Order: sequence, then structure tokens, then C-alpha cells
Amino acid sequence: MNPILSVKGISVQFGALKAVQDVSFEAQPGKITAVIGPNGAGKSSLFNLISGAIRPSSGSVRFDGEDVTGRAPHQLLRYGLSRSFQITNLFFELPVRENLRLAAQYLEQGRGLFRPLARSQAAAARVDELLEQFDLRSKADELAGYLSHGEQRRLEIAVSLASRPRMLLLDEPTQGMSHGDTRETEALIRGLSRNHGLSILLVEHDVDLVMQLSDFVVVMHQGQKLAEGTPAEVRANPAVQAAYFGEKH
Amino acid sequence: MSTPASSSTIGPRGGAVAMASSERPRRSAATWLASLFFAGALLFGGIALALGDVFYLRLATEALIFGGLALSVDLLLGRVGLLPLGQALFFGLGAYVSALVLKNWSDSFWLALGVTLAFSAVAGLIGGLIAIRAKGVYFALISFGLAQVLSKVVYNTRELGASDGIIGVPSANIMMGVSSAAPSGFFLVVLTFIGALYLVLRYLMDTPVGRQLDAIRTNEHRVSFLGDDPWRYKLGAFVAAACIAGCSGALYPMLRGFVSPELMFFQVSGNAVINVIVGGTGTLIGPLYGSAILTGLRSVVGSFTTHHHIVIGVLFVMVVILMPRGLIGYATPALQRWLDARRNQKENR
Repeated sequence: MNPILSVKGISVQFGALKAVQDVSFEAQPGKITAVIGPNGAGKSSLFNLISGAIRPSSGSVRFDGEDVTGRAPHQLLRYGLSRSFQITNLFFELPVRENLRLAAQYLEQGRGLFRPLARSQAAAARVDELLEQFDLRSKADELAGYLSHGEQRRLEIAVSLASRPRMLLLDEPTQGMSHGDTRETEALIRGLSRNHGLSILLVEHDVDLVMQLSDFVVVMHQGQKLAEGTPAEVRANPAVQAAYFGEKH
Repeated sequence: MSTPASSSTIGPRGGAVAMASSERPRRSAATWLASLFFAGALLFGGIALALGDVFYLRLATEALIFGGLALSVDLLLGRVGLLPLGQALFFGLGAYVSALVLKNWSDSFWLALGVTLAFSAVAGLIGGLIAIRAKGVYFALISFGLAQVLSKVVYNTRELGASDGIIGVPSANIMMGVSSAAPSGFFLVVLTFIGALYLVLRYLMDTPVGRQLDAIRTNEHRVSFLGDDPWRYKLGAFVAAACIAGCSGALYPMLRGFVSPELMFFQVSGNAVINVIVGGTGTLIGPLYGSAILTGLRSVVGSFTTHHHIVIGVLFVMVVILMPRGLIGYATPALQRWLDARRNQKENR
């Protein structure tokens, strides 16, 4: 099968710091791929390179066969690549429904920009669907800033999904969540992949979560790729054990 | 900003959406306050006409013209979240272009307005390309700097009358013999113009484009990850604001018969921002109230003492401290609560 996302020899440097050095990996369609690594391993930089938040110094990113290296975030969404944020990045002063509508407006494909909102029926239908799917209906008219942390994290993922992307990049989706919320999010992510065929790339801190959830794992260490493979292969890799599990456990 | 006050669908600005049931569409507090403003203005015009007054009618017309400038500031400050400290650039530019057209080409109101619109759009595009790159304080300072540059250029250009400006601008011929020289006729024309501007802006704010501006103010970073380039929206809003300010400025020489470089000075830009903040940032009708109240106050207090800036300054500080959302920013949710309560009472009866 052709990979949906293919990263080749990507690097970025901030001053003297080589945050990401010559990293290559592939993500398969409909699968959950995870990037793990200790703090400062370059996970977030790699994530920002793929999602267009920063431009690489060298290397390439191909999405579904097309070269998308260094494309701006709003252009990436047109290819079907969407992302969520580690630090919840919502429209806190606006109601939950409006947060979702802003994101779902993409489905109108720029039509009706100067017509009353009620005319954007595709967007409205998508908002209803997401409120249901993410169990936010009872909070629809509350300001996003008044939601609990767990609800905000759920809304964050819902906003990223509103445009019906083909691949979702999740940046530490369970960051700061309680144990119960983490479990729920885990089930949610698995459901998106299994039931909706969504390709997912996630960056996570929580090794146990990654091992249970992922089909394929990329391990980063000091800006470089240390190992990759199925969760079992990665766990058995001596270099990974020394660099990562050895420190943590 | 008001939070949803009842179970009906209410936009983030409290604009009630007409309900699907058989009951008549409910007027929101914002609509009442806007109706009050325009009805009050009409009443004022009627009384002035009956009393044969000219001074106050001219002053009210000027307040409305500065209200147009305030609307352009509110579009940038209240919606996009950009503080323009040099919006007088476009107001003054519009005034000069209009004065030159009226004096040298033709006394047509529509030609003056059309040429001004074209100049304002081009100036807005150039200014926007420079200023939109920056945010926060830097945007404010760039917009301030651009206005300073243009006002000094005009101030030192003999062909534009230098520090004296352009005097003896003939009155504009509007239609069917109505000229800007007629105090009540021109008051009505300006009121209609500002009313139309208000309605168009209010309509736009409940379209995807207008909501996108709200989103940019709230969290610009996230907008770019939702499939739209915020830069285009910001530039569009900047050009629109320049056109609104320019066309409002175009009315000034028709009213007063002269233009001067002072129209581009910081005093005018600063007053516009104060009018917006005192009236209620982001409310659209608030800036019109602010302009009406403060223009009146400046004139009335100014006729007693030359130190009227002190009075306005103290008032501004008090409003910012006591009611940072401005007069209409407070009045709207309060009135909405009262309307909702009254409506519930009626329903329960």
C-alpha cells in the first residue's frame, strides 16, 4: 500500500540547535502512527514541520504522493491534512457551537461568504454531527473558555476534524488529562481510525497509551530517529530501552 | 460581549436569530438601540428644521460624519482586534480628494464620492500591505506613522494649500436640486449614508466573513489551521475600513466648505478611537452614539471654556475605568435582559 504521509530526510535548525536531523518515516493510510521520545527529542519540531507551522531547512514531506514541503497550514488543509494542538488552541471567547462552525465552514468551499450564516447548511449539519459524536450537545451554547479541561481537549479534536480531513495530526491529545479522560480519548482515537478510516499521526508522552493504541511507532532521540516498527518491535529494541525506557522506568 | 441570555439561538454578539415558530420575530436589544439612535436623529432634524436652526443641524451632521470614521475604527478595533491610531489618514485623504473634485471638476456629489472611494481603496491597499504585517502595538504605531507622514506631506505641499488647506469648496449637487448647502437636506443625506453603512456592516457581521474577523480577533493563530489565510481577511477589513473612513471624509468639505491638514492629524484619529471606546467597542451602534455625544460635548463645553479637552479626557478615563465595554456595551445586555424578562412575563400570563 502507498503511504499517505512520507517524510524524507527532514531537518530543521534553530540557531546552533539541530532540533530535527535527517528524519525519515512513513505513515500508512487508515493506521495510527505515533512519534514518541523523551523531552527535547524533537517530537514537537517534527510535528510542526509536517503541519506547516515551521519550514524545514532540508528534506521533504509528501502527502498522498504530492509534495507539500513548507506549505502553509491553510494550504495543507486543502490536501486533507489537519492538526490539533498540545496546548488547547480554541476560540475561548466564542461558544462551542461557533468554534465548530468556524472550522466546519471549510466544507462550504468558500461559497456563501457574504450570505447569512443560516445558508451554510453543510457546515451546520457537520456541527450537529460533531456535537453528537463528541458528546458536546449540552455545552453547545457555552463559551469554549468555560468548559472543563477534558471537554476542551475533546472540542480541540472535534475542531480539527470538522473539515473532514483524511489525516489528523494529534499533538499530545491526552496532555494533562485525568486517567478516566485519557481512557475515553484513547477509545475515541481508536474509533476514528477503525470506524472512520482516518489516518492518524500522534505525538505522545504517555508510552503506555502509545503502545496500546498505535499500529506503528517512531522513536525520536536527540533530534534523530532512533528506531521504528510495531509497538512490540520497538519495545524489544535495545537502543530504545537504553535511551527511553531505561530512563523512564 | 453578551453571553446567550435565553434558550433561543443567539449569536456571539447577542443578535437574536428570528425564531421558526409562528410568533413574530423578536427584536434584539441591539436593534432597539439602533432604532432609537436613528429615530432620535430624525426627531432632532425635524425640531431643528421647525425652529429654523442651522448651527446645531450642521454640528449634528458633523457628528454623523465623524460617526462614519468611528465605524471604520470599530470595524478594525472591535472586530479584527487591530487598533488604528492613524485612521484620520483615510478620512483626510477622502476630504481632500472630494474637495479637489468639487472645486476643479464638477459639483456632482456622486462623482466626488466615487473618485474618493477609488482613492481610498488604493490607499487602503497600500497602507494595509504595510501595516497588516504587524500586530498589537506595532500595528498601532505603523498606522500612526503613516498618517503622520501623509499629513506632513500635505502640510508642506503648496499646491494643496499647505497649512491653510483648501478653502472655498463649492457645495455639492446631490440630486433633484438638493444641495449640500441646505442644512436639513444634507443632514438627511448624511444620516441616510451613515444608516446604510451601519446596516451593511451589521449584516456582514453575521455572515461567514464577519465571523471570521471575530475568530481572527479571538485566536488568529488557529484560524490559519482551519483552511483560511487570516491575512487576506485582515487586508480586506483594512481596505473596507479605509473606504468607509474615506467616504465619510468626502462629506466633510461638502458640509464645511473647506479642508485643512488638521483633518489628518492625530487629534482626529485619537478622537475617533475615543468615540468608539466610550460608545462601546464592537457594537457598531456604540461608536455612532459616542460620536454624537462627544462631538456635542466638545462643542458645548468648548463654547464655555477653551479647556474642553480636560473635560473630555476626564470623561474618557472615567468610562474606561467604570465601564470598559462602553455605554452601549453595557446598555445592550441590560436591555436584552429586560426585554427577555418582559417577554417571559407575557408568555406566562
